[in-house]
Amino acid sequence: MKFFSLLSLTSAAMLCLAHAAADVKNSLVRVNSTLQTWSASQPWDKSAPSSRGALGVLLQGKQVLTTAEMAANSTYIELENADSTRTLPAKVVAIDYESNLALLAPDNGDTEGFFKDLSPIALGEATHIGDKVDIWQLEDNGMPLITQATVQSVDIVSSFVRGHYFLTYEAKASMQSASSSFSLPAVKDGKLLGLLSSYDSKDQIIDIIAPEIIAAFIADAADGEYLGFPSLGIGINSTVDPSFRLWLKLPEDVGGLYVTRVRKGSAADQAGILKGDVLLSIGGKTIGRRGYYDDDNYGRLFWSHLIRGQHKVGDSVKVTVLREGEKKEFTAVLSRPGKNLIPSHTLDQSPNYLVKGGFIFQELSVSYLSAFGKDWQSTAPLNLLDAMASPEDYEKGRNKLVFLSATIPTPATTGYESLRNFIIAKINGQEIADIPSLIKAFETPGSDRLHTIEFADGQPKTIYLDARISDAIDAELLKRGIPALSRG
Amino acid sequence: MRNKSLAIGLAIASAFSFGTASAQQSHPLAPLAPLPDKVAPPVNGIYSSIVRIEAATQVPNYREPWKAGNFSGGIGTGFLIGPNKFLTNAHVVSNARRLLITVHGSPQKHPARIVHIAHDCDLALLEVEDFTPFKGMEFLEIGLVPKLESQVRVIGYPVGGNRISVTRGVVSRIDFSSYSHTRSDQHLIVQIDAAINPGNSGGPVLQNGRVVGVAFQGLRSADNTGYMIPTPVVKRFLTDIKDGQYDHYVDLGISEFALFNPAMRKKFGLGPNSPGVLVAAVTPDGPCDGVLEDNDILTAINGNAVDAAGNILIDGEKVNLNEIVERKFAGDQIKLQIIRNGETMEKVATLKPFPPARMYAVQYGVNPRFTTFAGMVFQPLDRNLYAAHNFKNTRVRRLFAHYIDEEIFKERKDIVILTRMLSDPVTTHVSNHAGRAIESINGEKVTSLEQAHQLLHPTTTPEFFVIKCEGVERPIIVPGNKAKEASERTMRNYGISQAYRLEE
Repeated sequence: MKFFSLLSLTSAAMLCLAHAAADVKNSLVRVNSTLQTWSASQPWDKSAPSSRGALGVLLQGKQVLTTAEMAANSTYIELENADSTRTLPAKVVAIDYESNLALLAPDNGDTEGFFKDLSPIALGEATHIGDKVDIWQLEDNGMPLITQATVQSVDIVSSFVRGHYFLTYEAKASMQSASSSFSLPAVKDGKLLGLLSSYDSKDQIIDIIAPEIIAAFIADAADGEYLGFPSLGIGINSTVDPSFRLWLKLPEDVGGLYVTRVRKGSAADQAGILKGDVLLSIGGKTIGRRGYYDDDNYGRLFWSHLIRGQHKVGDSVKVTVLREGEKKEFTAVLSRPGKNLIPSHTLDQSPNYLVKGGFIFQELSVSYLSAFGKDWQSTAPLNLLDAMASPEDYEKGRNKLVFLSATIPTPATTGYESLRNFIIAKINGQEIADIPSLIKAFETPGSDRLHTIEFADGQPKTIYLDARISDAIDAELLKRGIPALSRG
Repeated sequence: MRNKSLAIGLAIASAFSFGTASAQQSHPLAPLAPLPDKVAPPVNGIYSSIVRIEAATQVPNYREPWKAGNFSGGIGTGFLIGPNKFLTNAHVVSNARRLLITVHGSPQKHPARIVHIAHDCDLALLEVEDFTPFKGMEFLEIGLVPKLESQVRVIGYPVGGNRISVTRGVVSRIDFSSYSHTRSDQHLIVQIDAAINPGNSGGPVLQNGRVVGVAFQGLRSADNTGYMIPTPVVKRFLTDIKDGQYDHYVDLGISEFALFNPAMRKKFGLGPNSPGVLVAAVTPDGPCDGVLEDNDILTAINGNAVDAAGNILIDGEKVNLNEIVERKFAGDQIKLQIIRNGETMEKVATLKPFPPARMYAVQYGVNPRFTTFAGMVFQPLDRNLYAAHNFKNTRVRRLFAHYIDEEIFKERKDIVILTRMLSDPVTTHVSNHAGRAIESINGEKVTSLEQAHQLLHPTTTPEFFVIKCEGVERPIIVPGNKAKEASERTMRNYGISQAYRLEE
């Protein structure tokens, strides 16, 4: 008898699974995207396109959720149903590079037909460590492939753009490769728990973007105007070091983070928080010596989740600091981080540039520097790396850092062939804040018909360019196939 | 400025080519002249004047400066140029603790010592303790710069055997190029197509029985390419040491920029064939500081017309204008003809040594300076330290690269680097600080290792030592009352035999 009961139990479970499979399968679509970046060295060119296949999940309102990685720098995105009988062109409605999420919508196609047999999935609630979740994949033939994973820990992780950390579940499962294996949905009780952002096949660890982050992203995108996740705008250091604590006069019973930097104009700056303060609590949550607080749901979590994972732009947050031994309370109105002199990425942006007589001028970005290869942090030009490390030394009078990225040998640039990677200070006596101001400055050469180019850090400090010859060269370069002499 | 990195030096060197000059001198298809040194003096005579040098070295450790260093050794070649005067390369005998000289065909080893050593031009003069066995041996005579395409012989004791080795080659290039021994000096160099291998170093390159150069370096990326130190450099060394000591080479202290661009020439009012190179930068405190200015056009140096690329004509060869300065000594005057704001004028610069340039030259035969404090190791930045630690921090790399042109040397005799943090209860939770430059200690800007040492060991102990690194907001804190104990403990635990060395 025992044998039979066991058998019946198993079949019941299988039935249940099959039922769930039918449900979720109807919410799954393939996302086929073609991605293309701009060339770092010849900014008028796009580099060779690449294709990626991923999964997306259908939400309410005929919108499809996938990771930003699948939609950033896209030239064409197509949705395809599980059994590959229908396709539909799609467009990006909202994209958040920091949290690695993107929302897609149909773009001129048979929308009704495509969504006829599909049904949206609901967003699930937060789960707990030890819970089991299903990771969904699709085989080539359209059959679902389900892997059960166990949530082992919760952490804040940076998955796409460097330096932006978000709540992430880390689950253990042995997965197989199947078609469209990116951006896989994690499902619990028939509801969407999160999206897979990475899988480490060696350790068999899956990173899943948490439901709170997805919910905040969807809510932000709902009004059609996407803002992004808020920030406080501080840099911090731990206070574990007992000697350091002694010097800071920190009592034994408090934790706290040492504020090393307050970004100008940020929420923290406006609230009155100063460099050298010790951050004791945010929104009533006490912060420990290494920066962790006790989260009601997940246990110990890094403090940044209190800002980025629990609030939106415009929210007020109470911040307590210790300053010269005294507790002080501030109210910070959270905002988006300000524009960087040297942007950390240029995803979906065509780089600004100007070609003048053979000189190629660009605006510096981390994307440009990282094009120097795997070891770019040591192989990229030192002066440009220094600008990245200490932008505050270069910010005066600049929106962006304009530099001479390369020199095409032409009759106008004879003798200048070796000049590159110099930061521009002035053109024709005018200070250069960005590429538009550079383009404008080149409109007025000196009375001798010579352009004067002053470098911030070059030898020689000043060079000259013949305006008449360089204009003729520019016309020639257009004929030779450079599609436009400038952008910006 | 010539005291820049090797990479820059090589790039400059490759820009100057003597290809056209050689074509004018002798037609490429013309038959090679018969070997000029076929009727050389008796070979045995020359061979016995070319000696094998065995060096036992002790190389200082810049990673753990309290250590004795690595005991090692090497082989090189030298040759007799006068009574008890053996010429060789500086790199053959650098960091030597013991030197032995062997004559061709003799088993006897003669103890020798360095009389003069010039690292900047990679030459050294040795003497043996007892010259008696060498009496009657021929002194090799120093000749002239060999012509392009002429044949030369290289004699020495390269790897691959113990006996003397002879190779022949053709002079394939004469150029102003980098000397790799210090990684920061450039002088005249002669390239030959005979391979120069380890052990050949310091050996003579002969033509017509005379020394036309000292073999000293090869090129890893090319086959059959050897380099020798030509005789003007050798003669300068021998002249310099006549007063009993070697003084450093002197520099003009300017960097030039070739005036090829038509717009540039128009701006400075130069005709298509008028001479002159642009002074792109003047080294602060260098011999030309206050004499030349940025944007001067240098048209002649000591009466030699300077072309748009910065070259002059000496002995029928186009060479870099610095070749004039190369043959001069500290205190010598150089006449400079310039155009400033359209006006031609004469200026005079007095050459002088420039100690801050040491930052970029590899040092030999000196002990690394350092101090320790509570498990932290502080060392002054220089080429040796840079090579030993491979600093990644952009601030440190920038301080190194711009030490002279941004006049950092005027304020800071040393850039003090926190090279190591040895774990100790007092400092174990300090991270992210090693490999950075020290900005201040107890609020005082750090300007030299010695001063940093004084600040870390004051007569009255402060409540806290506050050490701030450049680019790191969070300071390192050491409570005053725990410092001494932590210093003693880390020295004991990590086997640090010496707490500091402030003198080389």
